[in-house]
Amino acid sequence: MTAIEPITGRYLTVTVEGAPRRIYFEEAGEGRPVLCLHTAGADTRQWRHLMNDAEVTATHRLIAFDMPWHGKSLPPEGFEIQEYLLTTDAYIETILAVIDGLGLERPILAGCSMGGRIALQLAALHPERFSGFIAIAASDFQPAWYDIDWFHRPDAHGGEMGAALVSANISPHAPEEERWNTLWMFMQSGPGVFRGDLSFYTRDDSLIARLGQIDCARTPVHILVGAYDLTCTPEDAERTARAIPGATLTVMDELGHFPMSEHPHGFRPFFLDALARMRQPAEVA
Amino acid sequence: MRDTLETMRGRLAETPHLLRLGRLFTETVQLRVDDAEYYLDFEKGALVTITEGPSRKTPYRFALVTDGEALARFWEPVPAPGFHDIFGLVKLGRARIEGDILTLVKNLRFFKEFMALARREAVQ
Repeated sequence: MTAIEPITGRYLTVTVEGAPRRIYFEEAGEGRPVLCLHTAGADTRQWRHLMNDAEVTATHRLIAFDMPWHGKSLPPEGFEIQEYLLTTDAYIETILAVIDGLGLERPILAGCSMGGRIALQLAALHPERFSGFIAIAASDFQPAWYDIDWFHRPDAHGGEMGAALVSANISPHAPEEERWNTLWMFMQSGPGVFRGDLSFYTRDDSLIARLGQIDCARTPVHILVGAYDLTCTPEDAERTARAIPGATLTVMDELGHFPMSEHPHGFRPFFLDALARMRQPAEVA
Repeated sequence: MRDTLETMRGRLAETPHLLRLGRLFTETVQLRVDDAEYYLDFEKGALVTITEGPSRKTPYRFALVTDGEALARFWEPVPAPGFHDIFGLVKLGRARIEGDILTLVKNLRFFKEFMALARREAVQ
């Protein structure tokens, strides 16, 4: 079988925290821009099914990028003596730098897990830069039910342990092939990267106090959560949606924490529905 | 339970990729189900003996403590949310891990797939 996909990949250099970051990004489609954020410990490949979906890309330009340290984006110069610990500020600065670098005009922001968490932070802090938020497996805050230091130690393979742990978040309805493709990204994650992402995800609770300032009349927020998600449970997402005036929520009964990656066919209708909820910028006050 | 564990032992022996994943796993695991205790002696990934307790003299590396109904739901062909993974059982308050959890985590894929071996016939 031979097939060339419509996804194209390029590199963009932006400045984050005063130093250059070489960012890999992919895109497909034409129309309204949708910036897609991967989860902790993974990369843009999580979005490839939607980026290959002709119905989605007929009217939307999907763009996904690998965060620094992830996928094909390099870590910053001097990484070899740094401890990678993602922060809310650096995450926001990176996303806004990518938007500026690509010249995106008020994209929809679609983020999953830590990407969903930062999407809600951006909904609170920088809503004027976006036209709506699709926050997948997104919640205000949950402390870790595991020790994040397990995933970065010299006597074991953090990627293999991380994959074995996050497999708990994949629905048994997911096709085996996509379950394992999803886990492969965690297995490939660089040393300490998953841990550094989890530091942001499980230790920074600053979103809780900001949820009430999100204005869904201006920029809609739709939260999607999988029933099989042990990390961001439906209860976590429901609590979060209740704290955001006007936010909407859909529980996906047969999906887990990585829906666009683990079960693309099952996730597709929920994503199309979410896109339909994102009013055009002209409609937004 | 004993019969189920014997079935799992047999399936493990016939699952080359699990034996390969477990090639460094030589440990005793305690499985406590309701009031029953089982000591599972793994040697290089193979389950060599299953010893029924109770025993206060048998050392073990870690224990999985749960109840029979939770395990039965874990072994359903398509488990309900939370019952689909041993850490889901923990999150639901239907199981707990005792002992050296880091050894479990280092061998997590092996042990989770071993525990799921009783599910296999229903899936296929």
